[in-house]
Order: sequence, then C-alpha cells, then structure tokens
Amino acid sequence: MTEIGLLQSALLLGLYVALAGGYGFAYTLARIHNAIALHRTSFVLYGLHGLTAIAIVVWTPLQIGWKGLIIASSVAFLAIPPVTWRFLQLTHETEVQG
Amino acid sequence: MYRSQQLALKYLTAAIALFGIMTIAGLMSAYYYINPNFLFGILNFNIAKILHIDTMIIWLLMGFMGAIYWFLPEEFGRDLVGIKLAEILFYVFCAAVAVVAVVFIVVQHGGSNEMALWFINQGRKYVEAPRWAAVGVVVVMAVFAYNVLGTAYATRKISGITAVLMIDLVPLLVLYLDAFPALSNMSADLFWWWWLVHLWVEATWEVLIGCIMAWTLMQLLGTSRRIVELWLYIEVALVLGTGILGLGHHYFWIGTPGYWLTIGGLFSALEPLPLLGMVIHAIYDAGTHHMKTTNRPAFYWMLAEAFGNFLGGGVWGFMFTLPQVNLYAHGTQWTVSHGHFAFWGAYACAVLSVMYLVIQKLRGLAQVDGRLWKWSFAALNIGVLGMVGALLVAGFAQAFVERAIGGSTHEAYLMGQANPWFVESMITRFIFGIMFAAGYVALVWDFLTIGKRRLVLAAAEAAE
Repeated sequence: MTEIGLLQSALLLGLYVALAGGYGFAYTLARIHNAIALHRTSFVLYGLHGLTAIAIVVWTPLQIGWKGLIIASSVAFLAIPPVTWRFLQLTHETEVQG
Repeated sequence: MYRSQQLALKYLTAAIALFGIMTIAGLMSAYYYINPNFLFGILNFNIAKILHIDTMIIWLLMGFMGAIYWFLPEEFGRDLVGIKLAEILFYVFCAAVAVVAVVFIVVQHGGSNEMALWFINQGRKYVEAPRWAAVGVVVVMAVFAYNVLGTAYATRKISGITAVLMIDLVPLLVLYLDAFPALSNMSADLFWWWWLVHLWVEATWEVLIGCIMAWTLMQLLGTSRRIVELWLYIEVALVLGTGILGLGHHYFWIGTPGYWLTIGGLFSALEPLPLLGMVIHAIYDAGTHHMKTTNRPAFYWMLAEAFGNFLGGGVWGFMFTLPQVNLYAHGTQWTVSHGHFAFWGAYACAVLSVMYLVIQKLRGLAQVDGRLWKWSFAALNIGVLGMVGALLVAGFAQAFVERAIGGSTHEAYLMGQANPWFVESMITRFIFGIMFAAGYVALVWDFLTIGKRRLVLAAAEAAE
C-alpha cells in the first residue's frame, strides 16, 4: 500500500459507513414524517454509499476478500433500515392491539 | 426509597466524582504533548495517563452498578438480598480507589518483583491497579452478583431483563480474573489481557448497558416490557455475535497466528451493522413520541448514546479495522481517537441519561428541563467531537509520516511527533479538552440544582 493509498482507503472506509448511517437516518425520518423529499434524500445517500463501495473496490489496494465483504455489507446496509422499521412497527402494532 | 436505591445514589455520586478526576487527568495527559517538561520528575505523563484511563473504567463501572442498584428493587418489588454487605463494600471500594490513586501519585513504580505487583502497579494497561486492589474488585463484583442472584432466587421473579443480566454476571466476574496473571511471554500475556479489556468492554459491558437502557426506555418513554425485552434479546445477540470474535482485531500484530487477521477483520467489519439498527430504533422511538418526554436531558443523552456508539464504534472503527490499514494505524493517536469516541458514545452518554432519570425520581419532578443541561450537553459533545477529530488528524500524520513513509524506525517516530499536523492537532485536542471540562462543570452544577428551584417555589406557594 502506498502512503497516499493508506489515507485514501481509510477515509473511503469511514465515508462508506457514515453514508450508510446517513441513509438509515434519512430513511427512518422519511417514514416517520411520511416525507417524499426525505425518502429521496435517503436513496441519494444510499447511492453515494454505493459509489463509495465501488470506489473502494476499484481504487483501494485491499485484498479481494475484503472487497467482497464491502459489497456484501452494502447489500445488508440497504436492507437494515426497512427491515428494522417493519419489525419495529410490527412489535409496536401488536402491543397496541394487545 | 429502597436501601438499594440509596446505595445507588452513593455509587452514582462516586461515579460523577471520578468522572471529574478522569477529566482533570485527561487534561494533564493532553498538556504533556504540548509541554513535555510539565511536572517533569514530579508527576510524569505515564501516571497522569494511568489515572485518566483507570478512572474512566471505574467511573463507568460505578455508574453501571449505581444504575442497576437503582432499577433492581423496582424490578423485584423488594430490597436486594445482602444489601448490608453491598453498603459496606461501597466504602471499601471507594477507599481502595483512593489508596491506589495515592500510591500511583506518590510511589509511582516499584522494582520488577512480586511486591511491586501486589502493592504498587501491575503494569498492564487499564488494570494497573495492584493485585490487592484487583482482588477487591473481584470481591465487590462477587457481592454485586450475590445481590442480584440472591434476590432473584428469593423472589422467584425473573424477567427477561434480569435473566440477561444474571447470565452476564458470569463472564463479568470470570473475565476479570484475567487481571491477575503476569506471564513473561509478551504475546501470551497480551492474548489473555485482551480477553479482559475487549470482552469486558465489547461483550459484557454491552449487555449490561443493554439491560440498563431497557429499564431506562421503560421509565423514560413508557415503552412496554415486552418490546424492550424482545429488542434486548435481538440487539444483545447481534452485538455479541459480531463483538466476541471482533476481539481478533486486537490480535493482529501481537504474535498470534495469521488467521486472526481474517477473523478479526471479518467480525469487526460486521460490527457497524447492529449499530445502525440501534440508531434506527432510537430515531423510531424519538419520532413516535414527537421528541416529547418528561425528562429531556435523559432523552437527549439516550439519543446521543445511539449516535455516539454508531459514529465512535462504527465509522471511526471501520476506518482502520481491516488489517491492511490497521498495519499502519494500530497504536497511533488514531486508535486513541476511536477509543475516546466509542467509550463516550457507548457508555458515558448512557450513564448520564440514567443519572438524569434518577434525579427526576429523587426530586419528584413532573418535568425535567432547563437551560443549563443544554449548555453542558453541547460543551461535552462538541468537546468530544473536537478531541476525537484532532486525535484522528494526529493519527493520520503518525500513520502517514512515521509508519508508511518512515517505516516505523525510531527516527521516523520522532519525525511523526514533530510533524506540524501532529503538533497542531495536540494543541487543538487540548483546547477542546478544556471545553469538555467546562461542560463537566456545567453538568455537575445542573445535577445539583436542576428542579430544585421549582421545588422551592412550589413549597413557598404551598406555604402561602
């Protein structure tokens, strides 16, 4: 790994998780407020997260296994907010009914 | 009020006092980087740093114990079994902490012999306390376990939260026994030492804080027991599932077999996933309650916990957890930045949330709010953000100049320390440290006064 490659890789990895968090945050806010603009924002953030994942795969000197993990994690990050939201709704709905 | 809750107040008071000592020792440790001659020969950097990190562990531990002693009698519907013994041990615990601190400051170090290990300093980071004090911690934790298990047995009333707590007491106690060995093989010693440091913090403490947050959610937002218990099981399973083998990221460069690179990297990379789930859960709770609560400071500190945990543990950790990056970043100020942020987010914010909740109950306040808590909340959190940002830049400079360019030679180390990015980051860290200390002062003042003025006014009105 080159000196610049080290910092680039680290910053991209940090950005990768931060954007996933931003997507989750915006997605949840969008569902709470039922706001289309926030929904779009969440998917823009996920798009940027995806681009960061591609940049990590293409530009960083990480080994192939770690790059595969990055792609797999991106898929998981996409699913976590809607799945968590649905499950939260389900548990709270049954609570109200109960 | 139950006797256990009176004991909880003592533990929480001791915790907040130790939080202050941690802050002062941290400020001193930060200042040594700016002026290395500061208190030279009187109180050197190593002692200030020991005081800083050891009081951090103890104040959080006392905060957890205080929170659990507060919630448990309400959970069991009676005072705890063996409470007298716990009360005595509280004073023994405090006295032991004071004696150890005095020995660190006055004696500082001994020879390379058993006597020094038993009475002065064990020399192992985070568990420097001499063996007699470590034995004392084991006794305190054993009595704590007896209080919980004995009461559960006496009442035959075990909820989901108390069941998780009781299971967690086993590793909490057993893993601390790792504080004792003094192996001469450095790799073997570090291998087991990380069981204590990582597994205590990223496994047993995570479970403890999960239980504490479950009770807090029930009292703060009125969330039903069924929901908090369900989510406790899920989140504890996910955190443990990634956190236990995430231990491997500490095994990268200490002489352990190469397969730890894969195990550590893989499980550490998975750690942000459950943290994102927690953030979504926190926003859901905040949104469904329209940010309305009877205790705003407790509520905001709880939100800060979810975000701080994700940012400090998830984002900061992921930057350098993969082995190829970690090779250059391990043990630099980059690690220090991650450690500060993760501890603050995961634990400190949660303990502060509980403290506000306890104050509300203690003073019988229908509503807890005001202006001072906002100032302390802002100063503490901006202080932490500033410190971890500066430390991150310093860590970048070290990894870049000292490790990647210089190849980790002694000369490269000195070059890294003299690099303007490093030097200026250390000054910036100190400035934000002062802001953090100001936030601490505001926090303590708020704890002492919040709601009291309203109570005085109410009493005056009633008298009229």
